[in-house]
Amino acid sequence: MSSSLLTFSGHQFLRQRLVLSILSGKHVKIDRIRPEDKNPGLREYEISLLRLLERVTNGTVIEISVTGTALLLRPGVISGGLVVHDCPPSRSIGYFLEPIIMLAPFSKKPLNLTLTGITTDEDDLSVDLLRTVTLPHLQPFGISDGLELRIKKRGAPPGGGGEVQFLCPIVKQVKTLNFVDPGKIKRIRGISHAVRVNPQFSNRMIEAARSILNRYIPDIYLYSDVYKGEESGKSPGYALSLLAESTTGAIHCAEAISQAGVAPEDIGLRATRALLSEINRGGCVDRRHQTLVLLMMVLGSEDVGRCRMSEPTEKTIQFLRDVRSFFGTSFKVVPVDSSNPECTQLLYSCYGTGYINANRTLA
Amino acid sequence: MDDRPHKAHRPAQSGAKAGKKDKAKGKERQQGFNAKAFAPKSGRRADRQGRRAVERDQTRLHVPLVNRTPDENPPPVIIAIAGPPGVGKTTLLKSLVRRFTKQTLNDPKGPITVVSGKKRRLTFIECNNDLNSMIDIGKVADLVLLMIDGSFGFEMETFEFLNILQSHGFPKVIGILSHLDLIKKAATLKATKKALKKRFWTEIYQGAKLFYLSGVINGRYPDTEILNLTRFISVMKFRPLIFRNSHPYILADRLEDLTPRELVRTSKGKCDRTVTVYGYVRGTNLRLGTKVHIPGVGDLDMTSVQKLGDPCPLPDEASEKRRKLSEKKKLLIHAPMSDVGGVIYDKDAVWINVPGSFSRGNEEVPQGEGEQMVMDLQDVATTLEDAVSKSQIRLFGSSSNPLAVAAQSLPGEDTDDEQEEEDSDDESGFEDDEDLHSAEEDEEGFDFDHLPPGAENTGRRSHRVVQRTLPSSSRQSRADIEYAESDSDLGDNDDDLPSTSNRRVRFAGEDDDDIEIPSDDDALDDEEGEDEDVPQWKKNLAERAQSLASSSRKGKRKDWIKLIYASDLTPAEVLHGKAEGDKEEDVDDFFTIKHKSDVGEVEALDKGKEPIDDVELEKWQDEELLESIRGLFITGEDSGAAGGDNDGEWDGVGDGDGQGSGSEGEGEGDEDGGLPAEQTTKDAKTLQAKKERLKRKFDEQYDDPESRKDDFYDSAKDEIARQLALNHAEFEGVESEARALVEGFCPGAYVRIELSNVPCELVEHFDPHYPIIVGGLLAAEERFGYVQVRVKRHRWFTRPLKTNDPLVFSLGWRRFQTVPIYSLDDHSIRMRMLKYTPEHMHCYATFYGPVSLPNTGFCTFNSLLGDTPGFRVSATGVVLDVDRSVKIVKKLKLTGVPYKIFKNTAFIKDMFTSALEIAKFEGANIKTVSGIRGQVKKALPKPDGAFRATFEDKILKSDLVFLRAWYSIEPRKFYNPVTSLLLSIKTSWTGMRLTGQVRRDEGLKTPLNVNSTYKKVERSARKFNPLRVPQKLQASLPYASKPKLMTKQRSQTYLQKRAVVMEPEEREAVALLQQMRALRKDKVVKRKEKKEGKKEERRKKLERDDARREEKDKDKKKDVMRMVGMKHKREQETEEGRGSRKRRKP
Repeated sequence: MSSSLLTFSGHQFLRQRLVLSILSGKHVKIDRIRPEDKNPGLREYEISLLRLLERVTNGTVIEISVTGTALLLRPGVISGGLVVHDCPPSRSIGYFLEPIIMLAPFSKKPLNLTLTGITTDEDDLSVDLLRTVTLPHLQPFGISDGLELRIKKRGAPPGGGGEVQFLCPIVKQVKTLNFVDPGKIKRIRGISHAVRVNPQFSNRMIEAARSILNRYIPDIYLYSDVYKGEESGKSPGYALSLLAESTTGAIHCAEAISQAGVAPEDIGLRATRALLSEINRGGCVDRRHQTLVLLMMVLGSEDVGRCRMSEPTEKTIQFLRDVRSFFGTSFKVVPVDSSNPECTQLLYSCYGTGYINANRTLA
Repeated sequence: MDDRPHKAHRPAQSGAKAGKKDKAKGKERQQGFNAKAFAPKSGRRADRQGRRAVERDQTRLHVPLVNRTPDENPPPVIIAIAGPPGVGKTTLLKSLVRRFTKQTLNDPKGPITVVSGKKRRLTFIECNNDLNSMIDIGKVADLVLLMIDGSFGFEMETFEFLNILQSHGFPKVIGILSHLDLIKKAATLKATKKALKKRFWTEIYQGAKLFYLSGVINGRYPDTEILNLTRFISVMKFRPLIFRNSHPYILADRLEDLTPRELVRTSKGKCDRTVTVYGYVRGTNLRLGTKVHIPGVGDLDMTSVQKLGDPCPLPDEASEKRRKLSEKKKLLIHAPMSDVGGVIYDKDAVWINVPGSFSRGNEEVPQGEGEQMVMDLQDVATTLEDAVSKSQIRLFGSSSNPLAVAAQSLPGEDTDDEQEEEDSDDESGFEDDEDLHSAEEDEEGFDFDHLPPGAENTGRRSHRVVQRTLPSSSRQSRADIEYAESDSDLGDNDDDLPSTSNRRVRFAGEDDDDIEIPSDDDALDDEEGEDEDVPQWKKNLAERAQSLASSSRKGKRKDWIKLIYASDLTPAEVLHGKAEGDKEEDVDDFFTIKHKSDVGEVEALDKGKEPIDDVELEKWQDEELLESIRGLFITGEDSGAAGGDNDGEWDGVGDGDGQGSGSEGEGEGDEDGGLPAEQTTKDAKTLQAKKERLKRKFDEQYDDPESRKDDFYDSAKDEIARQLALNHAEFEGVESEARALVEGFCPGAYVRIELSNVPCELVEHFDPHYPIIVGGLLAAEERFGYVQVRVKRHRWFTRPLKTNDPLVFSLGWRRFQTVPIYSLDDHSIRMRMLKYTPEHMHCYATFYGPVSLPNTGFCTFNSLLGDTPGFRVSATGVVLDVDRSVKIVKKLKLTGVPYKIFKNTAFIKDMFTSALEIAKFEGANIKTVSGIRGQVKKALPKPDGAFRATFEDKILKSDLVFLRAWYSIEPRKFYNPVTSLLLSIKTSWTGMRLTGQVRRDEGLKTPLNVNSTYKKVERSARKFNPLRVPQKLQASLPYASKPKLMTKQRSQTYLQKRAVVMEPEEREAVALLQQMRALRKDKVVKRKEKKEGKKEERRKKLERDDARREEKDKDKKKDVMRMVGMKHKREQETEEGRGSRKRRKP
């Protein structure tokens, strides 16, 4: 008896499909991975991700075709435990950690994962945001005790050399989310870090950010986080990540990374403006964490979960479609405020699948 | 006679008489609880009483569990009637059915559903004596009526059934003692009842309900006793069981084979079948896309699920009003397998069962209205289409042209004809369709739509095939019936364009509330349009989506559900609208996909965050914009535009209820969008509301500070209730079809499940006496893996269980045979294999099979056959862990012998065969029999397999050297589902046999390994050399420790050798003594002889007595046997007289 096989094509949305496959136990076949590219097939970092997934699971079979343009995943059980993985320098740690965060609560043993590589880059969420924004997003689902991301070393691109440790507890079942009140922003926090550059850079970013934000609320703390010596990785770099938390616990975030030839003040302003536009977009969930929250809603108990969010991103749209093919769950997506045409926020509601962590060991 | 004391008068304590007496005496009896009477006498006692009350209160509480079964319209309660054969199960079933429906069934088969009250329906099912049926029914029954033969007592099956129930989450059990009329003596009856009750209580719980059925009258149990029983049943409450509360399931009350007859014929009935099963959904919501398991058949895929009209609906106000007098006596019963009721509904047909021989044209048989109508319909020569085209309808009296019928059928026409397939789209409300709509809520409110099918049971007018229509499309067509348009246009193709334009118009002018309703409706309509597989909607869907998307940029809202789920646009196109160039390619789907796939996909990365759009950020340099979002912060004033949250600044106080009040806040937000003119009044209103809220909070805290902190139990219950209410409310307004897509079919719905690739044997060997259960599987349960369970052999099972012996598990929905390996945790270091299960102790077992969630209970059987002697439940346990690999080890001892011994080093041989093996074990711990520990060092070059080892002391040449190793083993990947329902004789399922059984059956001898034979152990006596203490050491030892070198005297000493010469007086004395001794000896011998004689006499006497007694006993036994024989004969005679009561020989 084989579980049903799902077929996808294209290299896009690879991570979410792998995650959904492992969670649902459905086999997945992904073909036409960059067939017409100069360098066809899976990239180095994708192979590395597959390795990582193989390591955190037990009994997973991954078959990659000779050309590397097709992939068959037969998922095993998520085992967790102590895992160490080196991320290639082509992608940052965020790329690898995002799918792991989705899987880790459902493993057999609490996960203790050490990842080394680039901690902050342009493409993926930096470890700061993962720590301060992504992990709090799991809290309403009952995943909080022992959930931790320790940044041991920082590593800026291209050299990398950072190291983080991710600790995640296991749950039996995630709680149902009912989060429709975005509240009002009550505090703003931020981390500005600088490695292998003048430590003043981080203070300059903070000042620039404060020049805009100070007008709104007094509760603003922007930490200057300068790593030195061994802990600062192999390359120079600096960045500012900001987050705004509302009275009901909704978090919005933004960050900007150092660029060659751009003053730190401009980076600070950029991050701040991005945060403001993020706040302006509204909703209870940050845009980059829509998929995470939606996934946990699908995996909730057999009750109606509701969440208010801004308009879906491309990733989210495809995610909703993929969720339907893996779990058979479709969402009801309606405008929050039908009387106000200006309001672009949407109310996502779904009926949870009642997913129970079958990997969990009893006694 | 007279002096005998009379029985004292005992005045009535209760009832009418007691009150009379009191009233006569002029004192009023106190009504109800007399608090004074139970007032504590001392403080200490009060304390104790208080504590006891609290403790008792706590015992009442149970862990709060969510009950997934809805309160309104719940599925019927499954009541299983179980017991050994001949105990009266069928009689009880008939009596119960008769009690509820006033119908007498001749041969009840399968589940029988009846309505028992305003809010409760019951499904009765009889459980036969097959163990498979007992297992299956034990998993679904809500209440078990356990029948026990009072005249015989408990039987093995009863206990087996109870154990099965126990391991699958004990449903409620009511014991019923029958055949009590066979016990003649009142005293015996009382004693029997008491004994059985005691045993029953130990088995279930103290105080479990036990009913007594005295005898059979007219083939039924006495009406009063049945009435009492039904009263009990109808008020019974059920606590949700965890397994059933997390799985959907159906007890199939009907099974139809949909396979094309031709296919069956060509394959000689051997092809896989397509089968539909019908039943009420129970447990949780049944969703498409999941697999189901039918115990006894296997895992199957659901092709489709449809909700049908309830065949046995609960009475509602409307139906009660409409019930005619003639129908009053006819109560509802749904038992398709038993052929009662006469009418069977299907998705596309209604079948009428006409009793007796019925043939067309048979005029003698009186025909009812329904039959007449069917025959009339069959008589119609022309199709309705023709009839309509011929008919001339004038819309108005003055119109000159009669309404012409276009080539395609009008929306306003519907046919009863069987060939009509396409009419599923347009349904204009012919009355004949009413049965199809009865289950659905129709907002339009045609009268007949609300008729429950039960009300139509009597007068069926048609026998036909009608496609089930989608209510959405039908409503659409009803709403805009316009004769000029063709049918295809009237589908949901066009519903978007006019409605969107409508909306736009309204946006410009009218009030806001009106917009919501149509837009919402459209959203739903469109979603339904998608499930109905009409190819047409696809054609210009992209175009419409595009138009929608582009319009959204002008402030129009997108229909997200449709864009996400129903379109084949890529996510980017959904968000940003389609590029203009793509537009003309809508014609062919093939090319569009191809084209899209290579548009800018190559360089796109799977990014965690989108790049910051610097152009977008430019606008934030604008001060005005910066100011405009001030309202989003807690310091900002509560502007109307910000909307949503009114109690922002108070959230610091009431952070906890922030989420709960979210919906209220939203509701208020809706009102906020009013005109600025109303601003002031609104502000006042909000202020008022805020004050009110604060006041309430203050009052609450001031009046009763205790009430603030709810205890865990109450808060958990509140939480559950709130969530259930939310579940209910969220999809309230949604059309049932769309709702089924989102949340599945909720418990209580009567559904038809189509299953494909069903083994043909299920249909061919179908027997309604064996239950068919369709159990939904969770995603995890479809997988296979190694399951670790904690297991304990049942104490009534006589033999221990052996590792690698096949065992039948009943776990989850499944019954399967697999090969477990037993193990125990060895100091938390390793799982050590056990050959046999331990006595009176839990152990672990690991087997390969379908995954079940941890904490699922199970029971196992060595054999399911009915003729197995003894207790069949061999073990029970619970699932602990699920994995893809196992870590069970068994001990492996390697032995070797030393062939050369140095000081602490020895050369050991015969443990390994090659240097390679030794290399693997370098550094391993070894040990001699005498307990000297050592280590493997290195292989020796010369004899193959010899190695050097060091020990903590010098070992002996005669020592054996052990190496203790652990060899890991895996359970065999053997999974064999018990496919009992596929057999023609359902009870004869045999799985894999034991090796010994196979040998016995095949007549093979057990192969004999020469090395395994038992031989006499030859142990030569060991010779130990004498201990030699060196001379020097001896000299220095203290005397006590010195070896004693003196040997035993061997030559005779003087004392022994000397001759004795006695004196004369001495000699006399000795002679005298000798004589006395001789006399005494003689005396003793004589006494002994005498005693022997007496003993002999006594033995003879005893023998005589025994013989006499034996004879007496024989006579007595003869008498008893004669009596028994006569009684048996009498019984048989009465039985023959009474009819078909089968008694099994006890």
